[in-house]
Amino acid sequence: MKEVIVHPERCVGCMQCMLACATAHSRTRELFSAVLEIPRPKPRVHVGVGLYDEGFPNRCRHCNPAPCQMACLANAISRDPAVNTVLINPDRCINCASCAMACPYGVIRFHEDAVAPPGKTVAVKCDNCDERRARGLIPACVEICKVGALTYEEMSAAMKRKTDEVARTVSVCAEKGPLSPGFALLNAIKKAQLTT
Amino acid sequence: MRYVIIGNGIAGVCAAEAIRELDVLGSITMIGDETFPPYSRPMISMVLDGSCPYEKLPVRSEGFYEDLSVTPVLGKRVSAIDVETREVLIKDGVRIPYDKLLIASGADPRTLKASNMNLANIFYMRTEAHVRAKLKALPEARKGLVLGGGLVGFKAAYGLLKRGLDVTMLITSGYPLSMQVDETAGKIILNELLKHGLKVEVGVSVEAFEGTDRVEAAHTSNGNRIPCDMVVIGKGVYPALSFVPRDKIEVDLGIVVDEHLETSSPGIFAAGDVAESIDIARKERWINALWPEAVEQGRIAGWNMAGRPVFYKGSLSRNVMRVMGLDVLTVGLVTPPSADGYEVLTASDPRQNTYRRLVFRGDLLVGAVLINRIEQGGVLMSLITNEVALRIPKDRLLSPSFNYRQLLM
Repeated sequence: MKEVIVHPERCVGCMQCMLACATAHSRTRELFSAVLEIPRPKPRVHVGVGLYDEGFPNRCRHCNPAPCQMACLANAISRDPAVNTVLINPDRCINCASCAMACPYGVIRFHEDAVAPPGKTVAVKCDNCDERRARGLIPACVEICKVGALTYEEMSAAMKRKTDEVARTVSVCAEKGPLSPGFALLNAIKKAQLTT
Repeated sequence: MRYVIIGNGIAGVCAAEAIRELDVLGSITMIGDETFPPYSRPMISMVLDGSCPYEKLPVRSEGFYEDLSVTPVLGKRVSAIDVETREVLIKDGVRIPYDKLLIASGADPRTLKASNMNLANIFYMRTEAHVRAKLKALPEARKGLVLGGGLVGFKAAYGLLKRGLDVTMLITSGYPLSMQVDETAGKIILNELLKHGLKVEVGVSVEAFEGTDRVEAAHTSNGNRIPCDMVVIGKGVYPALSFVPRDKIEVDLGIVVDEHLETSSPGIFAAGDVAESIDIARKERWINALWPEAVEQGRIAGWNMAGRPVFYKGSLSRNVMRVMGLDVLTVGLVTPPSADGYEVLTASDPRQNTYRRLVFRGDLLVGAVLINRIEQGGVLMSLITNEVALRIPKDRLLSPSFNYRQLLM
């Protein structure tokens, strides 16, 4: 099953994922109209700052078993095993913040939301873009990320790629992987500049 | 295998579910005092303050017992356990045999010793029946009196205030929630409540109530008469273990359990508000009568009863509450027993109305109080629970921008 994988070392802290996430969870799903909506759409992914000012896209890990689910006083948190997603039912949520106290990653926020009953503050976190995926799209944060800090793929494929990358750094014989698009052109230009 | 579970609170419910994960054939009998479907006890204070409807209390369906093929024995209290013959005795003389027994009988509100306690509109706050009775009395009530500044008293006072009552709270310590938060945070909470019209009297207790049918006033130890037409008693709880044979099962304040939640008597387990385990932050035996602990202990006790030796690390005190305009989160050891060996860091920002207090023992975080900006409280709690030695400067944890990434170096 494909899932969103975070590569924190690639994050440049541009916060595009936050914008895309908030837009994807708005009523109109268009950035320009979303900013005018009440309640103002808010992101489920949060770019934090590391000790050395590096960016860090922090999102729900959909833990199994999920500490938030066990701590929930209102039985509002459940797991959808078909898509491996932990979901919060905004109708049952009582905004008690027990889940925030249980979450070891600090990814749960509390505010009004387009999918919650009007005027009700509820716990909100990543839902793996289940609505977008039902329409055949990939999660919004992955779609927008321009530096490959967020990818949507099989966990085993991502691990293999990482292993290969490490192997290439220690073995001269290892096959070279293709550079990211654009890099070949950039290198060619630089080489041309050096020779002239 | 015959499993018997005493108590149908959340610890008992989670234990039954855990047993069924591993053993589909064994018979499970649950003996419970309350006949209502399994419900969320912490939510009764939200029912009182009106933020949650009474109908939303149940956290399992009506068919819970049937779905798990559990035999419910409801509306009954256990009178004794016969450890020799491995039987549980119920009040009306029925004996239920067991192979594995779980005591998850929970706790009862600490009773108040005062005269005229039989007057109407004097309530405890523990069960759905208690809150149902209060809801019935609310439309007539104008002046509320809350005894106790602990979590229950505090939530009752908050609920009655939100319902528009004129509320007086009597507390023994100088500020509410003295067991949960430090003095600074307690004063911030107290000020917030005072701003919303709460009256507080410190260091007094009630000696008698006055009234014809319903309560009309309370007489305090310092000779005052406080008019009131609704009283809520929140003097804490004590473990419900009157039926436990103390010569066979080790009992301290609660039933003493080991790291598999088994009592000193083999085959008998305890979980929830009645169990006394090790407090992770305090490093001593402690009862943390809390919902998330009851859930975890129930699950782990259930697995152990069904034969899988799952380890239980210990419990941790914690609470999170929203008080008018404040969000308050508290975890672990907030007031160190001595200054020796502990380090306390605090930060506050009056403009943002935030306050943070962190308690360290060496390079371990052992306690935290947060007022507002509580989203990262879970990260702090898992640092305490997992006893992670801190490798970054301690004051980083005080900053509102602290996040999980900063722990990764």
